[in-house]
Amino acid sequence: MQAETPPVAIHDLVVRYGERRVLDGLSLSVGAGEVYALLGGNGAGKSTTLQALLGFVAPTSGEVRVCGHAPSDEPVEVRRSIAYIPENVALYEHLSARENVTYFLDLAGARRRPGEIEEAFRTVGLAAEAWERRVSGFSKGMRQKTAIALAMLRRASVLLLDEPTSGLDPGAAADFNALLTTLRAEGAAILIVTHDLVGAADIADRIGFLDHGRIVDEARAAGPERFDLRALHALFTRAKAA
Amino acid sequence: MSGVLTIARNELRHLARSRVALTGILLVALLSLTAALTSSAYQAEQAGLRERLQHTANEEFESQPDRHPHRVVHAGHFAVRPASGLAAMDPGVEAFTGNMIFLEGHRQNSANFGDARQSSLLVRFGQLAPALVLQVVAPLLLVFIGAGVIAGERERGTLRQALLAGASGPRLLVGKAMALGGAALIIAAPAAALLLWLSLSGPARGSAVLLSAGGYAVYLAFWVVLIVAVSALAGRSRSALIALVAIWSFGVLLVPRMAPEAAIAIDPLPTRVETDIAIQRDLRGLGDSHNPDDPYFAAFKRKTLAKYGVTKVEDLPLNYRGLLGMEGEKLTSSLFDRYADSAFGAMARQSTTMDALSALSPTIAIRRLSMTAAETDLAGYRRFMEQAEAYRYDLIQRLNLLQATAVTAADDAAKSSDAAAEARSRISAENWRKMPEFRPSRPTESAVLARAAPSFVVLATWLAAAALLAGFAAHRISRSAT
Amino acid sequence: MNDVLREARLFLRLRAALAAVLGLFLLAAAGTAAGLVEVARQNDAIRRIAPQQAADVQAISDWVSRDKDAGNAAYYTFHATWDPPSDLAFAALGLRDVAPYLLRVRALGLEAQLYEGDIGNPEASLPGRFDYAFVLVYLTPLFAILLFHDLLSGEREAGRLQSLEAAAGDARRLWAARVGVRVTALLLALALPFLAGAIIAGTAGWKAAAVLLLILGYIGFWTALCLVVARMTRSSVANAMTLAATWLVLTVIAPAVGHVAINTAVPLRQGMELSLHQRTAVHKAWDIPKAETMQAFFATHPEWAATAPVIQPFHWKWYFAFHQVGDQSVAGMSRDYRAGILKRAAWSERLGYGLPGVAVQLALHRLADTDPAAQIAYQDRIRAFHADLRRFYYPYLFNETPFGAADFDKAPAFRAKGDGGTLPAALFAGLLIVTLGTAVIGMQRSRRPRR
Repeated sequence: MQAETPPVAIHDLVVRYGERRVLDGLSLSVGAGEVYALLGGNGAGKSTTLQALLGFVAPTSGEVRVCGHAPSDEPVEVRRSIAYIPENVALYEHLSARENVTYFLDLAGARRRPGEIEEAFRTVGLAAEAWERRVSGFSKGMRQKTAIALAMLRRASVLLLDEPTSGLDPGAAADFNALLTTLRAEGAAILIVTHDLVGAADIADRIGFLDHGRIVDEARAAGPERFDLRALHALFTRAKAA
Repeated sequence: MSGVLTIARNELRHLARSRVALTGILLVALLSLTAALTSSAYQAEQAGLRERLQHTANEEFESQPDRHPHRVVHAGHFAVRPASGLAAMDPGVEAFTGNMIFLEGHRQNSANFGDARQSSLLVRFGQLAPALVLQVVAPLLLVFIGAGVIAGERERGTLRQALLAGASGPRLLVGKAMALGGAALIIAAPAAALLLWLSLSGPARGSAVLLSAGGYAVYLAFWVVLIVAVSALAGRSRSALIALVAIWSFGVLLVPRMAPEAAIAIDPLPTRVETDIAIQRDLRGLGDSHNPDDPYFAAFKRKTLAKYGVTKVEDLPLNYRGLLGMEGEKLTSSLFDRYADSAFGAMARQSTTMDALSALSPTIAIRRLSMTAAETDLAGYRRFMEQAEAYRYDLIQRLNLLQATAVTAADDAAKSSDAAAEARSRISAENWRKMPEFRPSRPTESAVLARAAPSFVVLATWLAAAALLAGFAAHRISRSAT
Repeated sequence: MNDVLREARLFLRLRAALAAVLGLFLLAAAGTAAGLVEVARQNDAIRRIAPQQAADVQAISDWVSRDKDAGNAAYYTFHATWDPPSDLAFAALGLRDVAPYLLRVRALGLEAQLYEGDIGNPEASLPGRFDYAFVLVYLTPLFAILLFHDLLSGEREAGRLQSLEAAAGDARRLWAARVGVRVTALLLALALPFLAGAIIAGTAGWKAAAVLLLILGYIGFWTALCLVVARMTRSSVANAMTLAATWLVLTVIAPAVGHVAINTAVPLRQGMELSLHQRTAVHKAWDIPKAETMQAFFATHPEWAATAPVIQPFHWKWYFAFHQVGDQSVAGMSRDYRAGILKRAAWSERLGYGLPGVAVQLALHRLADTDPAAQIAYQDRIRAFHADLRRFYYPYLFNETPFGAADFDKAPAFRAKGDGGTLPAALFAGLLIVTLGTAVIGMQRSRRPRR
């Protein structure tokens, strides 16, 4: 991973739906081993940003690069390096956690060592009794853990997380943050899209404030306190007011 | 390719674990098995019954005592339609045609005792045979288990996950279609086994079995591909389900029923009574054998006398009544043929009209192909009727010839009033045993294949159209998974 | 009443539902029209026969009246019979396309003439006709399913169910109004085309009323069944699937299985065997002493026993006598064959007590007089007419009366019966009981707590 081309690089991205400019000159980058939180209110352009990264939406103008590839031109290469974890993790309800992971790994054509899946489950903290259970009874936290285990097994270098902590109880949220820290340490570029300011401040290295399709402010974690919550809040409200 | 197999395996696992789908597949497979068993038992029984009846008819004909040949012309004979090889697979029009025809001189009778006329109205709901299961029931079951095959994944969000994991739209559709095709194979297995058994046990030709199996494979493949395509295009499982049930109702229920209405309106058939009257009228126009001064028969008499170089009928070396009978039969028979040809021609045109509607309904095409392969179509019936008529004509003319050669003119003239002459006019029973038996021949293999070929092309076109739609759907899914 | 108006307004805004109702209306109209066209075609064919038949008889009379031999008249003259479609036949054409509605008979053996078929394309009969009965029995349930499968689940899936029931106060009244509006829509779509057809065909009022009752009962059954399924609180997709599968079982699979079972349980070989026997019985007369034949004939026709014995090798009265004896010798088989057909019909009716689709199909065809019973009734009328013909010709033959041109006009004329069709009360009762039973189950399920 060269330092000069971060795994996630968006430059002056414009996405237009008809007359409406949903993204209007968005630029951001996430480096390897970095957690970037994209904050914004409803309609700020958060999900369109994700769509653009996943290659489901083609840019009207500007540039999107994931590990050096343009998602809309080379979706297969891009999707190979990305793990996307939606707000509500979609899994096959009739399959167990292990069967789900196996299936998606097979789809991706990813190789695995024997015992690697168990290892991943242990790393994400999925209790052993749940491995062979159908996921239809899983809580949101368990589903997320399954999805992250899958991301690890796929050795995804980019992780896209959509509202990961909404609906998690405080204990589960703390577990989740610990997990992200582990992934960051392994060198993953992590982009979190959220409207939860406090949650983002807990884990992010940088926070971008998205409004009307562009970054209006950016804050960087510094010192043991990491962020000044009060200042962040001021930025957030200003961004929304703009 | 590995991705395709993974998807197919996962979908099969899904079907197997969803109790509703599994129950449906097993129940329809069971129905298919029941249909195969009952239908083959019924057809075997019918075949035996008809063979026995034909045998009895032959025996009775041959065991007639010494008789005047013209009595035998009136005593007549029976032709029974032999059961066709693949009727157990697809009874086709068997129930709607008569199976037994009385052959006698001067008259052409209808084939009687068709099943539909002697069954309750239930026959109108369709006859339980593998053909019904595969043409009507199997597509609907595939619709049920397949409508959500992609639309459901879209609703649950796993579609996007699968695409992100590297599955492409085409691979996804192919994999799902393979899984659904697997279900179709399970349903069709009993019918396939029946086909195999019919070809091994004798009655069916290998080519017909292959044709039928190939036709059904293409037909079911069409449904599988269509279902996957519609499921991929629909936003939600419910809209996919409703759209597919609507397509099914239209193609399987509605169009095949409307087709006869169109056909009958374009080419109406005469009634039998009108035809009978018309034949009698035409016959009188040609020559009236009851009228001693009829110009036609007077000319025939002159010609016959000239041929044998005599001046009086009494001097002919042959019995003139027999010759007259032959000439009369020739006249009536030519009319029978003409009217039968015109009626069958109209029916064939009706069938062509109905076949044309296979542009709206692939079910019409598979029905045509299946019936043709089974020789249970209109052509098979017509073939029987025409062979029976040819046999009738030949038999009657042989008997007339016997009257001309083996019965003296004097005895023939006196037989109604003179008991001794009557006794002499009876000829040996030996003659009846020398008459050929009715052995209808089956259409040639190439004729069957040629008749079925257009339907096969139509079915293949339907499959290709479904594949195009699926290709479009796959492309759309790859572009955007929303 | 306000409830109903409100729900009706809501319904009129549902484009898909309206399209479905309109579609059903058009199909019912098309089915009615197709039936009317076919009935007109049949009436037309019957009308065409009379002049042709008269010309045919005239031609025979022309040469027979020269030597006035009654035997020739009886032997060569065919007499027409016909079975006009009833005033309701347009709605259910039934067996009229496989069984003839026109048949000519002569005074010879009847059993060799009675089972003659008409010219028909079996491939056109195979799928069944597109008539009103088809639209009602097959298609209407599918439309009912379309309208009712998401009645509750649709609201639940949209997240409106609880707020809706809370807003309505009395949830029962809300659902009753919604169901009522949809049932009314279906009823109108089906009833209007039928009534138009009935007016054109001049259907008797009581028959039209009975058909309306059938329509209502059948919609009622499917609505009740949809409610039973709706109360199981599953998704709309699952509901649609369950209902369509039920439709498949009730209107395709069960009748087809029933048909096989009935035809196996009541085999009808007598038909073909009867033909063989009758032919042998008739023609053996040529080989046995004539007195034997005449004896058998006099046993049933003592009034002619005193006529002169047949001593010539051929006499017409002997000829017709052995045809009569031939019929008599297969009378038992003929009765069995007739009874077998009716027995099959009776068993199918029993099946109808449990299967509403079968019940409606059979009831409609009974009302329309186009079922096997109607076919048998036509055959019975032909039998009676044939007996009249024999009674007409026998005096000429046995008394050796000359048969002149004027005598042709004295022959009995076939009198077709007026509009047939009876009310199959048992089938109506069966439909009612099954519908009520289904409705009761639907009500009970509703007491279960809903998610």
